[in-house]
Amino acid sequence: MWNAFVQAMGLVMDPYVLGVCLASAIFGIFVGAMPGLTATMATALLVPVTFYMSPVPALGAIVTATTMAIFAGDIPAAMLRIPGTPASAAYTDESYQMSQKGQLNLNMGVNLVFSALGGLFGVAILIVCAPWLAELAINFSSFEYFWLAALGLTCAIFIATDDPLKGFAALFIGLSIGCIGQDPAAGHPRFTFGSVELLQGVSFIPAMIGMFAISELLRGAVTVDQVGRVVAQQVGSIFFGVGTVFRRYWLNFIRGSFIGTAIGALPGAGADIAAWISYAVSKKFSKEPEKFGTGHIEGIVDSTSANNSALGGAWIPALVFGIPGDSITAIVIGVLYMKNMNPGPTVFLQNPQLIYAVFIIFILANLLMLPVGWAAIKSAKLILRTPKNILVPIILMFCVVGSFAMTNSVYGIIIMLILGVIGWLLEENGFPVAPIILGLVLGEMFEMNFMTSMIKSDGSLFGFVSRPIAAVLGAMTIALWAFMLIRMRPKRA
Amino acid sequence: MIALTLSFPPFPGQKYGPSLFPRILGGALILCGILLINRGVREGRPAIALAPWAHDPWRVVSFMLIIAAALIAIFSWSTVGFVPVTVVTLAGLFLWFRVHPVTALLTAILATVLLQIFFGRQMRIPLPLGWLLNLPPGWLKYIT
Repeated sequence: MWNAFVQAMGLVMDPYVLGVCLASAIFGIFVGAMPGLTATMATALLVPVTFYMSPVPALGAIVTATTMAIFAGDIPAAMLRIPGTPASAAYTDESYQMSQKGQLNLNMGVNLVFSALGGLFGVAILIVCAPWLAELAINFSSFEYFWLAALGLTCAIFIATDDPLKGFAALFIGLSIGCIGQDPAAGHPRFTFGSVELLQGVSFIPAMIGMFAISELLRGAVTVDQVGRVVAQQVGSIFFGVGTVFRRYWLNFIRGSFIGTAIGALPGAGADIAAWISYAVSKKFSKEPEKFGTGHIEGIVDSTSANNSALGGAWIPALVFGIPGDSITAIVIGVLYMKNMNPGPTVFLQNPQLIYAVFIIFILANLLMLPVGWAAIKSAKLILRTPKNILVPIILMFCVVGSFAMTNSVYGIIIMLILGVIGWLLEENGFPVAPIILGLVLGEMFEMNFMTSMIKSDGSLFGFVSRPIAAVLGAMTIALWAFMLIRMRPKRA
Repeated sequence: MIALTLSFPPFPGQKYGPSLFPRILGGALILCGILLINRGVREGRPAIALAPWAHDPWRVVSFMLIIAAALIAIFSWSTVGFVPVTVVTLAGLFLWFRVHPVTALLTAILATVLLQIFFGRQMRIPLPLGWLLNLPPGWLKYIT
């Protein structure tokens, strides 16, 4: 272990890797601070850029950019009353109220420091839990993986949407798109219509760029002329008063970070849901719930810690089981496969130095957040003045070139465009996108384990619950299905 | 989807094969569709409802232009080339989004050059050269 750690330090402390991380930090801050651009979009846009990098700088770029983006979303929330990313939406009003009351400095300081601390909390849990879970998962067979994937997919619907029916429909659409190409068990071509390019399946990264970036650009194009008014207040010393807040609300920080990490680790739910839930929990258990919504710092401590800790939490199932914890890690899993770091318990045995390198970069990124975040807050007015009518076309062309780069043909652009329009249509009609992505990412693994288990058990479904862990996972999954079916029943007047 | 699986062969010696999973998904999607339609009819919702921006022609064109820009890339990159198409597409979009004409043209050229340098030169992505292939060979080494 020690050798792997030393190797990992060597890999990370390379000036090239540190340079990539710094550049990604600035990119992440910019994307996060621009309303309408999300951390997931930052990741999708980074993948083509990191395509030719070795694993450590490629993963370093994604980790650093997303860490920064989630924090940077708090800046326009406080100054414009528009969350920079959905992860800041839960406490946007609260932050803006603080700014109106003349507490912009304290708000920014608390958001910055508690985001970094929350991020470090999430990483600490990741470092402790991931190797331990990997040891447990090494004995898993196709039965356990089948139920694990089923449970993950079910969780994605259960947490990420309040309309299970639309969630299920979205999941089935994702799984169906995943069926295109050669089937994972026998290699028989399915739904390819004679196209050689479709034989390899729907190219994953252009699909992500479409779902997350193009659908967002389609929304952005119709609001390109709408800009918010930046709070006129001057930003002064942002760290003044943060210590007092920490002494008063340290328990909120721990609670928020814990909830954030746990929700991050559950498939399908990411930083945005973590922030909403921890804000609600904070209000419920507060001694002064009446102050919530009037520019009170307490709920912000909980939720700003939660959304950054969720990032680390989401990597736990992604690294150990290959099941993404949120939409960012859904893309990361694709990157891990591209870099021959197939996620699963064996990656901890075969490439421990790469896993430790990811941990170290996570810690560095959260520490780097303090100076880079401080600089971003100081220059926020400049960042927020970037004209959207110039940004939207440039990001569009970046998406088009990035999708082309992933397949070296216009096939990537076609995939991007089709899935972008589908994603936009579905989202506009209240269908969540996260289950589609999870279906697309997990489809092959889910089907592979399903078919392998069917063959192993000679077509008997009892085989799926013949091993104790598989039986427990199966019972949990079926219980969730039953619970959701009850929730879906039409309410009688 | 289910109809297309009818031609898939089963695994040797088994009753099921590559058709099983898509058939389950197809059945599940049909069920979801029926339940959603049933719910929509019961709640008396219209089959199609337009977003408020759909009544503003400028916004509708803005929306369509995003799709059109990607389609232009798909159909014209291989013949005309990445650089000329991107400059024109970007400049057109900027102008539609009411950017000052000089800024629009300069930003379009600068962004295209940066994309070509980064993706085409640094990352060696074979962005189609198209019309640029007619340039003297000495010039091409500065582009790719």
